[in-house]
Amino acid sequence: MNDDIMFVREDQLEALNAVDDGVDSQKYLIFMAGHLKLGVVAEYVVEILNNQIITYLPMLPDFIRGIINMRGQMIPILDIRARLGLPSQADSLVVVINLGDIQLGILVDAVDQMLDIPKANIHPLPANSTQTLVSGMCSLPDGSGTMMVLDCEQLMPDD
Amino acid sequence: MGSGNEILDMYIYETGTLLEQLETIVLEAEKADTFSQENVNEIFRIMHTIKGSSAMMEFDTLATVAHRIEDMFFIIREGTMSVVHEEDRPALFDVVFQSIDFFRNEVDKVETGEPLDKDIDNFLSNINTLIAKIKGETVPDAPPAPAAGGAPVLQAPPPVAGSASFPHALRVNFEEGCGMESLRAFMLVTAVRDVCSEADFIFEPANVENDPSTSETVVEQGFHMMFRNVQDRDNAITVIKAAGSVQDYQPYDCPEPEAKPAQAVPESPVVDHADAAPMMRAVAAPAAAQQQQQQHPKETLISVNLSKLDLLSAVVGEIVITESMVTSSPDLKGLNLDAFSKSARQLRKLTDELQDVSMSLRMVPVSGTFQKMNRIVRDMTKKLNRPAKLTLIGENTEVDKTIVDSIGDPIMHMIRNSMDHGIEETQEERVAAGKDPVGEIILSARDTGSEVIIEIIDDGRGVNDEAVLAKAIRQGIANPDVEYSHREILNFLLAPGFSTNVEVTEFSGRGVGMDVVKRGVEELGGTVSISSELGRGMTTTIRIPLTMAIMDGMEVAVGDSIFTIPINNILSTMKVAAKDVIHDSSSGEIIKCQGNFYPIVRAKDLYQLQDGFTAIEDGVLLWLEAGDYSYCLFVDELLGQQQVVVKQLPAYVNSYNIKSYGINGCTLRSDGSISLILDVASLYSAARGV
Repeated sequence: MNDDIMFVREDQLEALNAVDDGVDSQKYLIFMAGHLKLGVVAEYVVEILNNQIITYLPMLPDFIRGIINMRGQMIPILDIRARLGLPSQADSLVVVINLGDIQLGILVDAVDQMLDIPKANIHPLPANSTQTLVSGMCSLPDGSGTMMVLDCEQLMPDD
Repeated sequence: MGSGNEILDMYIYETGTLLEQLETIVLEAEKADTFSQENVNEIFRIMHTIKGSSAMMEFDTLATVAHRIEDMFFIIREGTMSVVHEEDRPALFDVVFQSIDFFRNEVDKVETGEPLDKDIDNFLSNINTLIAKIKGETVPDAPPAPAAGGAPVLQAPPPVAGSASFPHALRVNFEEGCGMESLRAFMLVTAVRDVCSEADFIFEPANVENDPSTSETVVEQGFHMMFRNVQDRDNAITVIKAAGSVQDYQPYDCPEPEAKPAQAVPESPVVDHADAAPMMRAVAAPAAAQQQQQQHPKETLISVNLSKLDLLSAVVGEIVITESMVTSSPDLKGLNLDAFSKSARQLRKLTDELQDVSMSLRMVPVSGTFQKMNRIVRDMTKKLNRPAKLTLIGENTEVDKTIVDSIGDPIMHMIRNSMDHGIEETQEERVAAGKDPVGEIILSARDTGSEVIIEIIDDGRGVNDEAVLAKAIRQGIANPDVEYSHREILNFLLAPGFSTNVEVTEFSGRGVGMDVVKRGVEELGGTVSISSELGRGMTTTIRIPLTMAIMDGMEVAVGDSIFTIPINNILSTMKVAAKDVIHDSSSGEIIKCQGNFYPIVRAKDLYQLQDGFTAIEDGVLLWLEAGDYSYCLFVDELLGQQQVVVKQLPAYVNSYNIKSYGINGCTLRSDGSISLILDVASLYSAARGV
């Protein structure tokens, strides 16, 4: 019975992939923040930088680490680990994302992989979840864990 | 201009410029209470151009109004200003002003894509009445006027002389059914002007430029050009060969062209049939002459999209930084590079020059904005019946284009305010106070090298401290138990929601107070201050940094952080010993400089920085002044003076209100690291909670 369900699911999945020819799937960049795997829609990602000197800006929330100079452009840096209350690590990468007019650098531990994920595979959060910044989750096909979909809109200051 | 239609954009731009020109002329003329012949010609030309271009764009109502005004000024030009009776003159000026407003309104509508006003009958009949008045007085019999006026005013040879002195003619036939023959003919004329001086040829029909109905004549009888010299005709033939839609041409040396005024077309119902054609000829000639005179300066000016200039300044800013990154690269340390240093110096000189040039591109004189105020004063003088004059000083002061664009509203608000609340209501009141019965408002601009100071001075009643205070208390802005100084009371005027006039007038006092002015100016990085003496008037001073893109700054270090402080705000720097510091009752620190006491702000404490000196002997005090604040900032060390390119902080960061803590922007240092630019005034507000 269990097998049956499994089979049906896989079948549906294949059918979906075949019909939509990748149209209904999205590329995600998956990165590590503490023990979490977080994914952002790859279209948002401008570039990934390492060894950046972050200029500290006073009087801001802790999770804003400061700004960097990316080829003359000032990019604010948000420490996603601090934002989610995870322990920060010293050596880290900056994933620069572009949301409309705003560019934002996200400080992460490491970049994991880039993956094409069908939309149907992304499940909503459990109904009574209190997670913030995350809009969905997805089991990774290679069995390496579960990816949380980072909701970039929520990273914007709420005003 | 985002209409995406270049011709339309050009039309909007040109018409706007012409209207501005027209307004300036009419304002000047109104002061003199007459139009000089020069003015009349100029207005004529402007109206003519507006009429032509509006007709081309098929904005018929605009063309009709322009046409009528043109008619009116035709009469005035023929008979000089004396045809307009003294008592009609105010009406004349009013009509011209109304027409300016009408055009502006309509052009705005064109720009925003709204439908145009179709109902212009009222306005037209106004003009017609005035024309009738002017005409009724002087030109009871129309025909003699053009005969007398046509020849001497214009350089263009009179038609009769034309046939004799222009024996070498050329008949041009356009391709059948090509349409718009009159326009094509006129284009030919324009092209021929390039090879033949205007005085050396005439053409028939002469009014092809502005009368589309001449097309028929051109189709039927061909378009004729008559030249003084054979040589010119040969040149013209070359031009005509190159022109499009020309079917054929026949040179002929017959001095008798077609009967000339025969093509007179009912051009306007107001002017008689008979004089229509010569009149149009008169129009065409001076307009063309003016155009030629104007061609030279026109060619040397181009209009550029501001965003391109922004991009240019940004790139130049980067070049300046990159240049110093290259020339002071650590890789070069210890090397003896004579040739390199020489080239590097040359490069620096050129980049400096490039920077200056790119900055100057964005600088425009404030005169355009200032001139607009003339109109406001004029309108309010009439409406309020309070004679006042506006004196402009330093109109040629140049400021950044973005500043010019946004400074208009604050200035206008202050001028209206001065007219409405400042200048006394009656002349008697002024005379009783020993003042000139005519009020005066002075609008001045001057450039101090780093900032531009704009002052609006009126010689009116001044600010009544008690009334202002009472109002402020009523509005809940002031505390009735506190004693306020004169200066503090004046500052209430700039508080949100404050407006002293109970009555709401058309011009000011709509419940929005001068806080709008303050906010507008602050957005430009400037400050507003008011000074006033009761009974003597009021002065509003607006200070705005000349350009927001580049400034001289002092780099200072506090722990790992580097800050840049505008040089203009620094009075001096000093090292002090701990014993010089006085502790006040609220655990603040005070230092005595040149006989006065100033509070000390420690950057490390204010910004809660990890590192940085604590002992006052180790660091440096910067004595700063901005607006009303004067204080000392304690930092670790001075790194040196730098000319820096100001960059805005990312919007994301600004949304956390970092500006209110005195961090106003940032700049790239020569090694690519970032320094934060401090705003001296808001830093103090943040530190002292004021």
